Amino acid sequence: MTSARSDATPTLEVASGVPDLETVYRAYAPTVARWAARLAGPLADVDDLVHEVFLVVRRRMPEFRGDAKVTTWLYRITERVAQESRRKDRYRRWFSRARQLEIERTMATPYLTPVDEFERRQSIEMVYRILDRLPGKYRNVLILFEMEELSGEEIATLTGLKLATVWVHLHRARARFIAEMKRDSEKRT
Amino acid sequence: MKESIAKGSQNDADERTPVRDRWTARPAGDSDEALAGALLRAAATVQPFGAKNLAEVAARLRSRERHLPRKWAWQIAVAAGLLLFGGALYAAVLHILRGPSLRALPAAVPVSMPVSAPARRTHTVVAPPPAPLLLPEPEPSSVVRAEETRASRLAFRGATQESLEARASLEPPPATPPNPSALAQESRLLAGAIHKLRQERDPGQALAMLDEHRARFGAKGALEPEANVTRIEALLRLGRHDQALGLLDGLALTTAGVGREMLVARAELRAEKGRRAAALNDFNSLLSVDAPPDLVSERALYGRATCRAQMGDGARARADLEDYLVRFPTGRFANQARTLIGK
Repeated sequence: MTSARSDATPTLEVASGVPDLETVYRAYAPTVARWAARLAGPLADVDDLVHEVFLVVRRRMPEFRGDAKVTTWLYRITERVAQESRRKDRYRRWFSRARQLEIERTMATPYLTPVDEFERRQSIEMVYRILDRLPGKYRNVLILFEMEELSGEEIATLTGLKLATVWVHLHRARARFIAEMKRDSEKRT
Repeated sequence: MKESIAKGSQNDADERTPVRDRWTARPAGDSDEALAGALLRAAATVQPFGAKNLAEVAARLRSRERHLPRKWAWQIAVAAGLLLFGGALYAAVLHILRGPSLRALPAAVPVSMPVSAPARRTHTVVAPPPAPLLLPEPEPSSVVRAEETRASRLAFRGATQESLEARASLEPPPATPPNPSALAQESRLLAGAIHKLRQERDPGQALAMLDEHRARFGAKGALEPEANVTRIEALLRLGRHDQALGLLDGLALTTAGVGREMLVARAELRAEKGRRAAALNDFNSLLSVDAPPDLVSERALYGRATCRAQMGDGARARADLEDYLVRFPTGRFANQARTLIGK
């Protein structure tokens, strides 16, 4: 299991020139995978998302001129791919509950007792249920700050927002998260 | 450039205000923030993207083959679904808008009859209605053409709508719905007659089938109004104007739908038989309403001018002809009208 930034080790930030796919992939695939997993939620197939992101990267590589950081560029692609994945998941959930089983497969880990695992799974489901009710701009900032443990400046760099806007979004996201969490608890009781 | 994200450096300024404190860094507690932090902490753990995953995705990228479901397949499926749904909705709306008379009709009614191209073409054959007294007597050939034209004028353009309108305008539908099987037989017989008349251009056979229809279903057949209209058309094509006029005289025609076509045909036949006052009444009723500037109005206006001229009302005949030239300057009778009023 990977918590927050422990494996956030991109080794290359291409400062000049157009990077090649192989280099970018080797350097950033784990980071992209982590972003994708957190942005898309537990139902997403991370391998598929990473594949999808790097297909876009390959297609768009000739257009990348190094004006923005590679991480910023990759994050925006990942964000869109994750958003699309969530949209598809919503449709799938309309038709079938079968995907629910995949949470168990994806999240099962031998390091926890069955009770712990059950609680953890419940928590994950609840967090993403609440996050999915938040507007995308708030949702992503909250994920990046709380789960990805990025600083405000880093989030601003990745998302292209102003720093002040990041804090405003974070503040509103937290307020909504708390409100939704309370509503969720009330429903359960 | 250093990868600041990778290093996980935390800006010191972030720590100064409460909004910049991470909930996930708070110790467990009962506050909302602490509970939210615990939840987010639990959700923050993800499966590592290990070397195996890295290699698998790299292989997929190298193979240039997408293992994901093809987008276009979904898009085509969705587009096809929307198209079908739209078509069904459109058909349903049309079905509702056309009213109860359409819903009462069986599917086998001659509505599916294609309009015969020759019949449509004969509409363009120009033959003047009964000539005004100012004109010389028509030549024999023009009489034949006139007969053909009258027949062709009665040819339906689209069997669907007009046969329904004929039904509405000629007679009320039977009060009780007939036996469906009888109705199906009746519609098959009528469809056959229309086919003979318009596709095979055999009005004699068509008339025989209509006689059979009358013998089997009588005057109370559900499709009797349509059969009547078809019979009139067949009689006109056979040149049996007296019989056609006899049938037309017995109908309560309106100025709506195919009733207009029937009415103008009756007026022309009446004028031809010298029943000018009756013809004038028909022409007047066609022209008294807000008549659309169509072929029927054109025929009615010129026909009324002709009748008036034959009845000695030269001034009003001239007025009609002038009106005709204003409304239909390139109409089929425009040249005759100009000649008559000396323009």
